[in-house]
Amino acid sequence: MELFMKNQKSISNIRRHILLLVSCGILATGQALAADNIFGMKPGEQQQHMHMDMAPGSHEHHHEMAAATNFKRTEDTYTVPAVTLVRQDGSKAPFPAEMDDGKPVILDFTYTTCTVICPVLSHTFAKVQEKLGNEASKVHMMTISIDPEFDTPARLVEFSKKFHAGPQWIHYTGTSGDIVAIQNAFDVYRGDKMNHPPVILLRATPGKPWVRLEGFATPDEVIREYRKLIDKS
Amino acid sequence: MRTLPAIFILLVLLASGAWAAPVNLNGENIYRYGILPSGEPLRAMNAAGIVIEGKDASCDPCHSRSGLGTREAQFTTLPITGKYLFNPSAWYPEDKYYKYGPELIAPDHVPYTDETLARSISDGIGSNGRELGVIMPRYELNKADMAALIDYLKNLSADNAPGVTKDMLHFATIITPDADPTEREVMLDILNRYFAGKNLVDSSKRRLSSNEIGYLVTHKWQLHVWQLSGAPETWEQQLHQKLAAEPVFAVISGLGHRTWAPVHRFCEQASIPCLLPNVDLPVADTTSFYPIYFSGGTLLEAQLISNRLAQEQALLKIKRVVHVFREGDIGEEAAKAVHLATSSDSVPETVMMALKADGAGQDLSDALKNTVAGDALVLWLRPRDIAALPAAVPGSPVVFMSGLMGGEEYSPLPPAWRKVTHLTYPFDLPERRKPRMNFPHGRYKGGKVPATALRIQADTYIACYTLSTTLANMMGRYVRDYLVERIELMLNKMATAGSFATGYYPLLSLAYGQRFASKGGYIVRFADPSGNKLVAETNWIVP
Repeated sequence: MELFMKNQKSISNIRRHILLLVSCGILATGQALAADNIFGMKPGEQQQHMHMDMAPGSHEHHHEMAAATNFKRTEDTYTVPAVTLVRQDGSKAPFPAEMDDGKPVILDFTYTTCTVICPVLSHTFAKVQEKLGNEASKVHMMTISIDPEFDTPARLVEFSKKFHAGPQWIHYTGTSGDIVAIQNAFDVYRGDKMNHPPVILLRATPGKPWVRLEGFATPDEVIREYRKLIDKS
Repeated sequence: MRTLPAIFILLVLLASGAWAAPVNLNGENIYRYGILPSGEPLRAMNAAGIVIEGKDASCDPCHSRSGLGTREAQFTTLPITGKYLFNPSAWYPEDKYYKYGPELIAPDHVPYTDETLARSISDGIGSNGRELGVIMPRYELNKADMAALIDYLKNLSADNAPGVTKDMLHFATIITPDADPTEREVMLDILNRYFAGKNLVDSSKRRLSSNEIGYLVTHKWQLHVWQLSGAPETWEQQLHQKLAAEPVFAVISGLGHRTWAPVHRFCEQASIPCLLPNVDLPVADTTSFYPIYFSGGTLLEAQLISNRLAQEQALLKIKRVVHVFREGDIGEEAAKAVHLATSSDSVPETVMMALKADGAGQDLSDALKNTVAGDALVLWLRPRDIAALPAAVPGSPVVFMSGLMGGEEYSPLPPAWRKVTHLTYPFDLPERRKPRMNFPHGRYKGGKVPATALRIQADTYIACYTLSTTLANMMGRYVRDYLVERIELMLNKMATAGSFATGYYPLLSLAYGQRFASKGGYIVRFADPSGNKLVAETNWIVP
């Protein structure tokens, strides 16, 4: 919801302030309705939040940043729908079977032309792969594209080369409908692809809960979570 | 008397433009490409503590080419042009919605200085002494390079955009001389009525529907029709001359028939957004920024056909692919694209059957006489030639046809051909898009639009609507680059909003670096020997 402001020329200062307050009120309620919307900073909000705006009304996404980490950790169970995605080599990947080969899974959602959030996630995956070294082959690293129409298998291959993705790190695309369905399953669908949250998900084995890291975990933090998972199982 | 030669030299210099400010290429290369003047890549540390470099570290992808920023989820990348960095947040009369932009500056913004700006870039400390958000990388820049970048920011998007006055926004539409006259009339009808609608309404009294809340664009719109003439080689020059004589903010819609390449080049060279023209052969150029297209047109059809040939060549026992097209028409380039894509596959032979540009009918029948079983014909032909196909299908070929070129579901494809022809159809199917064909386009000349121009009508309306919605989102910041960037965001929102907003296409979507909004199509055939009913032979394919 964008702010609606009348032509101000004939409005006095007082009425302008009233209009401002009313508009903020409209905004606040509008925020609860519009999922895709960050609009405005409330007077007095600190500049340090300028680059990480909180969405008023979506309190479930409110980041209580733990000291020294840039992410929030939760555990969740998700029901993965029966969809068939397409691997970067063009072959079909039936879900949930694709995730249920027994290996630990590290999963994220990106798209190749994303500029702000996804590059951080992709670089993190690349570093995680590097740090795992030989152990990487024991993990199924998965990146699902949320822009399947542009991210064809050929584009995904090119993209994965940029990050030196090994064979255990597969990029996926699919039909628009299936991609929306799987995003919904993992609670990362926000309508417009540009509203996607930064999320890394980890699961030790099928049946176990998923660890959800929302924000920007460093590669070391991701590895730490991974180790905790496999130590437990 | 010595001043006379000096004055003369001064005048010559002024005339030659040598007095113009030199372009800050060093700053631009850092900002857009992450390349330092030394040629080394720019380096920085990202939010996950990883060192990134080069294009990955460049400013443009996050802060946008215009420097006015963007937004992804809850992360706003703020405007970083000099205007927004070095000025206090104030109630600017000429930028009165300064505080309420989608990417806004804090009301208590402390203006940067060169020193504090350098500190924010390298150490992530804002002008108020507090840390910047983690999503902003921390950069490694020496003093000289930092100065070049800061100088670039000071001048970024600083000039007033051409074609914008206090109360008027000027737009142009471009029409090639070979454009179809009916399509031209239909397009201009939509454009003129849309522009008139923009100017009719007293904006201060405008009633808004509940989901149309927006910043009120109080500017009126003026349309300049740039009708090109003569050979394509002269079009670029004509366009530059027209732009000099009638400065416009952007180019909206437009109509081509054969080549559009000179127009594409003009848009890029003049740095002017060229939005969603009605062209069936756009230019596929991954480096261009300003031209935006509905789809890849016949190039997309070429990909659909290449894929189908690759998949079914063995199944259909295809030994030879014969492309049939008129020289100089858009089918030629599409045919070449298929040939290039399939030349390394198992398709044994490709024949380019180029008919003379001014040929008529009989040459087509003659050309098809030698068709044999094992041939795959690909008809890149306009309705006039489609209607002139022989009544009986010679040989037993597999037949593909460009739906775009051949008249879509209104193609005069003869009955016998309908049984065997697979049409590429880069739109939503008629019955699926029908609910969206309720856009408020009014009545064309009080009557029906000819079937051949229905798509032009819909696409032109969608282009205008896209422009209008996007302008409402720009908060009075009339910067050409920003218009392109906002359209990247806006098309996604329009697609998820439903209603008529995607018109003929199931989805219109762009992102950073993407310039073709619709990316797929169907393969269809005619259901009956006559009429417009289509049967989809495939799902929506994105090749």
